[in-house]
Amino acid sequence: MISTEPMPAATRLGGEMADIDVTGLVKRYGDVVAVDGLTFAVQKGEVFGMLGPNGAGKTTTLEIIEGLRTPDAGTVTVLGTDVLAHPGTVKERIGVQLQATALPPFTKVREAVQLFAALYQRSRPVEEVIEEFNLGEKADAYTDKLSGGQMQRLSIALALINDPDLVFLDEPTTGLDPQARLNIWSVIEGIKGRGKTVVLTTHYMEEAERLCDRVAVIERGRIVALDTPRRLISQYAPGTTVEFANVPGLDVESLRKVPGVERVVADGRVSITTRKPEIVLHALLDPSAPWVPSGGADGDAGGEGEGVIRDLMVRHGTLEDVFLRLTGRSLRE
Amino acid sequence: MNGFRSFRALAVNEVRASVRNRTALIFTLGLAVLFMIIFGLLFGGSGVSVTFDAVNNDHTAVSASYLKALRGISGVSVDSKSHTAAFADLKSDSVIAVLVIPRGFGAAIEGQGPSQKVAIYQAGGGSSSTAIADDVVAQVTAGFAGGGHASVTLGTPQSAEVNQVTEMDYMLPSMIAYIILFSGVNYVAIGLVEKRVTQVLRRFRATPVRSSTILAAQVVGGGLTVLLQILVLVALGVWVFGAKNYGSWLLLIPPIVLGTASFVGIGFLITSVSRTSEAARALAAMITFPLMFLSGLFFPISSLPTVVQDIARVLPLAWASDALHQIMNDGAGFSAITTDCLVMAAWAVVTISVAAWRFRWD
Repeated sequence: MISTEPMPAATRLGGEMADIDVTGLVKRYGDVVAVDGLTFAVQKGEVFGMLGPNGAGKTTTLEIIEGLRTPDAGTVTVLGTDVLAHPGTVKERIGVQLQATALPPFTKVREAVQLFAALYQRSRPVEEVIEEFNLGEKADAYTDKLSGGQMQRLSIALALINDPDLVFLDEPTTGLDPQARLNIWSVIEGIKGRGKTVVLTTHYMEEAERLCDRVAVIERGRIVALDTPRRLISQYAPGTTVEFANVPGLDVESLRKVPGVERVVADGRVSITTRKPEIVLHALLDPSAPWVPSGGADGDAGGEGEGVIRDLMVRHGTLEDVFLRLTGRSLRE
Repeated sequence: MNGFRSFRALAVNEVRASVRNRTALIFTLGLAVLFMIIFGLLFGGSGVSVTFDAVNNDHTAVSASYLKALRGISGVSVDSKSHTAAFADLKSDSVIAVLVIPRGFGAAIEGQGPSQKVAIYQAGGGSSSTAIADDVVAQVTAGFAGGGHASVTLGTPQSAEVNQVTEMDYMLPSMIAYIILFSGVNYVAIGLVEKRVTQVLRRFRATPVRSSTILAAQVVGGGLTVLLQILVLVALGVWVFGAKNYGSWLLLIPPIVLGTASFVGIGFLITSVSRTSEAARALAAMITFPLMFLSGLFFPISSLPTVVQDIARVLPLAWASDALHQIMNDGAGFSAITTDCLVMAAWAVVTISVAAWRFRWD
């Protein structure tokens, strides 16, 4: 039902070569197929997001593109070079941030930047990079003494030390507090502002919506959708979502028969998709409705007219809904 | 390519990180110095003192001057006793060893009879002192027999050349071997597992650096760390604890390098069978500690049961320890340590080859 082929017109804009061109990528670990025939292209200067739950194959795909893993099948061209044939050439021109913070022990911030600068033929001045990423105050601190946000900034700084054309960020904000996350987002916007191509993986929808020009939704090693966040939402999560806390005994089948309801997904929360939220809300608040659990889940706590609806939320579609719609499950489960 | 620049940066970072790793330093250099203090100062003092009884069955002028030569060494006292009295002393621990000079000793030395063996009996257990007793007797005997003529009497140059090996002198090469063992295994190999587990290796591999450069930097960086620690240890040993090296300093380089290489190889083998750094540490401890006690670091191998001796002599630490003791205590030349070096080189080649074949990047 969903085409996994990226739009060919978009991949070869103006006949220019894409920064990344992946065709028929397959990677197996024993019987597990981690990457199952991925085909996509990333254009120069775009921020390309890979969205999916843990274990969807995002990191494996990234690592194959970065030249860290060998696929079982498929071709990968990065910046016009075949990665599998010339990994060294490609590594010289890309910047990589791995998911885990991976820095040698007993090393200070400045030393880490100097070390990585020495690993490339061409590198930016160490002090300039330290200043740019606001690490000047911490330059003489050991890297294991940094806060989560500082550590991520350093790790992105190291990914940019060789002034790469293409940057890979694997879950750059996972585990950060909201403020540090905002800070990293503006760092990434800055990278984009300098015309660099960015590929990032995330399982934060807000992150993908705010940063990404295009998003590939990945599940079980396949791309289930690939488009701009706006078009993904209008295609897969149009209308409004009415959401409330699930209760035991709720009759989902009769809920589906309520006029205006297009779609119901019930797990921890009940999520109803509709283009007529007023009608649906009115029906929901009716205590005599047939889908209400017998005896009333509310019990004695139920006040006048409250019914079983708790924690009600009405909102427009997001990438989260897109994901829910495409995969039948929520991203962070 | 910029291979050398990358290599240098990685190796420098490795050495710097190792020197900053205080916990690891305590277990290598720190313990080595502590052992020197315990064994050297408590048991040694300003000079070694070994007491043994001599049972002289020869009663010739030669055996008398032989005993006199032994007594002439400071710190050594020798009493002539009857067989029964001497062994009673040994049993009650009032002497460290009993020396039995066989009948015909004098004639053998003078080339007039069949060759004879001077026998040393030691109490069970053994210590560095008995090693020194062995050493002293062996050298005096060698001095006598080496001449092979009647001219070998007291005051000959041979007996004057005997090195008065103190506890400290014995401990210094032992502790060099100790540092080689623990640093080779811990810094290089466990350091590598840790870098693998924490994905540091993976991060390096995401740069254009060649895999071989990463490994070479780890080995060379670890090796330099070993060397630095040995320099500090030797400086302390010589200037603070007054240990003497009777041999050539330069000649220490081959056994140190080959010894380090063989332990790095063993460490790499540990690395290739351990998934986590905890597993690697446990396995390393299981290998290094028995090795340390079996290989003549604290007491000579000759004091161990024969079966254990045979096992000990297969392991590379015994050869490293032997080479270092021979050079520093006996003033041996390269020819004396050739076998030691060859065995260590073989260990290094075999272990590193197997490890390279089994190596996993993640």
